[in-house]
Amino acid sequence: MDPLEALVTQIQGLSSTPSDVTRLHTILKQSDDSLRSDSTRLSPLLSQLDPSLHSLGFLFILDASTAGPVSKTQAENVVPIVTRFIGACSAEQIRLAPEKFISVCKRLKDQVLLLEAPIRGVAPMFTALRKLQVSTEHLTPLHSEFLLLCLLAKCYKTGLSVLDDDVFEVDQPRDLFLYCYYGGMICIGQKCFQKALDLLHNVVTAPMSTINAIAVEAYKKYMLVSLIRHGQFSTSLPKYSSSVAQRNLKNFCQPYVELANSYGTGKIAELEAYVKTNAEKFEFDSNLGLVKQVVSSMYKRNIQRLTQTYLTLSLQDIANTVQLNSPKEAEMHVLQMIQDGEIYATINQKDGMVRFLEDPEQYKTCEMIEHIDSSIQRIMALSRKLTTMDEQISCDQLYLSKAGRERQRYDFDDFDVPQKFNI
Amino acid sequence: MDFSAVTAVLASKSYDKVADVCDNLMLQVAADGVAYQDEWPYAIHLLAHIYVHDINSARFLWKSIPSSIKETQPEVPAVWKIGQKLWLRDNAGVHQAIRAFDCSPQLQPLLAAFSELYTKEMFQLLLSAYSTISISDAALFLGMNEDDATNYVLQQGWTVDPASQMLIVKKQPVVTEQKLDPSKLQRLTEYVFHLEH
Repeated sequence: MDPLEALVTQIQGLSSTPSDVTRLHTILKQSDDSLRSDSTRLSPLLSQLDPSLHSLGFLFILDASTAGPVSKTQAENVVPIVTRFIGACSAEQIRLAPEKFISVCKRLKDQVLLLEAPIRGVAPMFTALRKLQVSTEHLTPLHSEFLLLCLLAKCYKTGLSVLDDDVFEVDQPRDLFLYCYYGGMICIGQKCFQKALDLLHNVVTAPMSTINAIAVEAYKKYMLVSLIRHGQFSTSLPKYSSSVAQRNLKNFCQPYVELANSYGTGKIAELEAYVKTNAEKFEFDSNLGLVKQVVSSMYKRNIQRLTQTYLTLSLQDIANTVQLNSPKEAEMHVLQMIQDGEIYATINQKDGMVRFLEDPEQYKTCEMIEHIDSSIQRIMALSRKLTTMDEQISCDQLYLSKAGRERQRYDFDDFDVPQKFNI
Repeated sequence: MDFSAVTAVLASKSYDKVADVCDNLMLQVAADGVAYQDEWPYAIHLLAHIYVHDINSARFLWKSIPSSIKETQPEVPAVWKIGQKLWLRDNAGVHQAIRAFDCSPQLQPLLAAFSELYTKEMFQLLLSAYSTISISDAALFLGMNEDDATNYVLQQGWTVDPASQMLIVKKQPVVTEQKLDPSKLQRLTEYVFHLEH
């Protein structure tokens, strides 16, 4: 009997109970090499298997048969098979061979990109990542692939759906870097600047032993978004970020650091001139659009600054101080900011004046109490998580042996013990 | 292609859900490998994003529409014209774009609903941002002629200043739910107690 036929029979026979599937997994691992060498004969075998019942066997054969490079026409055939498999497969079975599943999904991404139709991969990749992850707190390598497809297919809103999950478990550092970087770009596209800032912050402060390109690009965007959101940027990173990042990141982003300095002066003309002379550099990084948003945010920043000094101000004076052309233009800026909830003010067209008001929020509505309560709950959950993690690490064999060794070498208190009793 | 989900949600007048239904359906048919572009109701999809003020999504959708469709289906660029005006915050322009849009019966209810919603929102904006405003400006914001606009705001309790011919805005007291659930208060008290001891 042909070994491949035999394998198919085994897959069909050993796919029902968990113990059978484990045995099948061993058999499949042993025959993986022969599968790869026979890769051309594999596609017909797939028709004899049911992707929902024989998911593990299907996965191994699918992985082996799609391993080689594919042409556009081949991709046209393979993409529907993989899509159907992702939709039908059983999550328990594919989790036994996550690396195979990931490689099949990554190939799906490559193939839809080859077909120039990234949107075809968005829904399957989402299904795939949900099936692969054990809980929503688990970051899989497919998260970044999904976000990349969302970006390329311009389905930004769809991408936001996974970014709401809190991540606590990561397999590879690279997954986290890419997830946060692409996630940041999705949030920038949807103008959720605070969320974007949080994600990009995670990239630049993540532990790293050497500088990587993702962190550099993230740092550039981080600076720009920080200017848009907060109107300021400080080049010093928090203490817990890696020393490599603290020392080197800004050296790779000189034009951006200078942009932030120029922004700090509050002079719109200077900023515009600087952007104009360096437009090519920003364009090269595909950040020119974001840089332009930085420039226009400066008007807002300057108006906001006025609210801290004045109670009432004429539209003409606003136009003069923030360098707008006419009182009408100033009125439109103020109006937009009121609409977005960025300032509290009323415009009096009759006298051409603006009256700045206090934030009307009195922190006593039901909604606000609800909000405070849910924030406290979240923080409590986070604190519990941190405690468990701390306990786990303090029981970890590797950590203890390393910490124990260092303690002996450096901690003089250990030798001081007898002296303490002398007193 | 099966657009029954879209028609159903349009028929039920839950216009705020149309965009999500369209988004999901598009991802689904794309994953099934259907060449959906030629039949896709782009005009409805775009307008549905605009209806929920998700102007970013509308812009990304517009960018992903093949240029052949933008040329052959005049409704699609006409809807985007509204989106553009919203993007530029050209309030008067939005009303103009809506009026200039000669749309099909299928799109008409959604467009009318958006127009009504937008007028209401503009009124709210004027209410919160102005203490006095000229009649002509108010008319532009509300997308009406000056007489209609004056009547509209007079009904809401605004008055006309006879000397300057300006509208004086009458602020409405904001009514918020203040009744507290005692269990919530109890919980907050416990937190504070816990922190102090």
